[in-house]
Amino acid sequence: MGEFDEETKQKVLEKLAQKPWSTRDLAKVLQMKKREVDKICKELIAEGKAAYWSSGSTAYVTTKEKAEEMEAKRRG
Amino acid sequence: MSNEEFPLLSDLKKGPWPSFVTEIEKTAEKKPEMRDLLKQLERSYEDKITYWKHGGIVSVKGYGGGVIGRYSFLAKECPGVAEFHTMRVNQPAGWFYTTEALRTICDIWEKYGSGLTNMHGSTGDIILLGTTTPNLQPCFNELAKNGWDLGGSGSALRTPSACAGPARCEFACIDTLDICYELTITYQDELHRPMWPYKFKFKIAGCPNDCVASKARSDFAIVGTWKDEIKINQEEVKKYAEAGVDIKGQVVDNCPTKCIEYDEEKKEIKIDNSNCVRCMHCINVLPKALKPGDERGATILMGGKAPILEGPVMSWVIVPFMKMEPPYEELKELSEAVWDFWDENGKFRERLAELIERVGMMAFLEAIGVEPDPRQIKEPRANPFYFWREEDLKPRTDPWEIWRKAEKEM
Repeated sequence: MGEFDEETKQKVLEKLAQKPWSTRDLAKVLQMKKREVDKICKELIAEGKAAYWSSGSTAYVTTKEKAEEMEAKRRG
Repeated sequence: MSNEEFPLLSDLKKGPWPSFVTEIEKTAEKKPEMRDLLKQLERSYEDKITYWKHGGIVSVKGYGGGVIGRYSFLAKECPGVAEFHTMRVNQPAGWFYTTEALRTICDIWEKYGSGLTNMHGSTGDIILLGTTTPNLQPCFNELAKNGWDLGGSGSALRTPSACAGPARCEFACIDTLDICYELTITYQDELHRPMWPYKFKFKIAGCPNDCVASKARSDFAIVGTWKDEIKINQEEVKKYAEAGVDIKGQVVDNCPTKCIEYDEEKKEIKIDNSNCVRCMHCINVLPKALKPGDERGATILMGGKAPILEGPVMSWVIVPFMKMEPPYEELKELSEAVWDFWDENGKFRERLAELIERVGMMAFLEAIGVEPDPRQIKEPRANPFYFWREEDLKPRTDPWEIWRKAEKEM
């Protein structure tokens, strides 16, 4: 059982489905504390719903599906 | 590989020194796809451009770092290196290995990767060069089964690194290996899950000689030092003098604060410890005669960075002296206070040095709960490299001459 309720996690997941986010920007958009967003993202990653996606120098978080979509785009 | 096929690479095999081209060729004998690496390299030299691109989903389950994605722009022409990811493996503290451990890691890499490594990166991790996306997870699983873990990459805590410390060095004032291990184990989450504005590096040096260049290369440098007096063995001072060491010229005159006096008649040294800046020069020249004091701990410096292109910064002294005893609670509390402030206030890709410059040292000290202190000087030496004119140089005694003489006398 995670620290956060399903509704909050869902709100984060919906945003993550839009694009890869740095948790800093995501926290600003969602008007939440960055530390909370970090923790929720870690929970979502552990649950297999979210994944890290790297631009090469920076790691972002997004949904698993979006990460795969980004990867497919890269392969062209 | 024929020299006609890759003329530019062939040029890099000339000379008596080892060549990375020769090593890649040897690898290609076992793994034919490595010929594509040579092909791409030759093309890069011809066109004077890199054909690598990086990024993507290249990690293992639950980790956000430790793998640096590399893809080839020439995937059709060089399919053997279409995916050529780097795996960063957490090195043991002080870079101590058994030959068995090295054989194990090499065997794993031959199985899942290219078999190529350039060993230690600038942070110190073991760098394994070139594998495919499907091989990442099985490679990680086998590494983990044999006691290895991935290191840090991206906007995370990078693998802490330390000098060999008390394991190999008589000058170590702190147990660098234990501190490095303790920080690595405590901060696994910070190491593997990148959530910060940018990278953050710990480096731990046993003494102010700073063999890991922590002051210049890490955001948080822990440098062993001592609070009391340098220990002098006057008998050994005499032996050095009698063996021909120019104590006045090589030690006294080179002391940056001129806190050493030498009595040439008695062949004795006197040190004004209140003016000593722990530069280690005298101890390095006369290691048998002078030793660091007994009240030992560390100076904590922050904000160092040495990026590849621009913007190197030497770190600031933040805590002049901190006791270093397990479980290093004070050290951990300080680093966590720094992360809290940096994570909350740092801009995207802003290192700690840049944040301190932007908000000011006063605001930074207040945020991390450290009192201002006159010893929190910035840039004790702005440039770590000294350039001497020829006329400044005095002829130096050959140390081998002294050691051989001393050995004969024993």
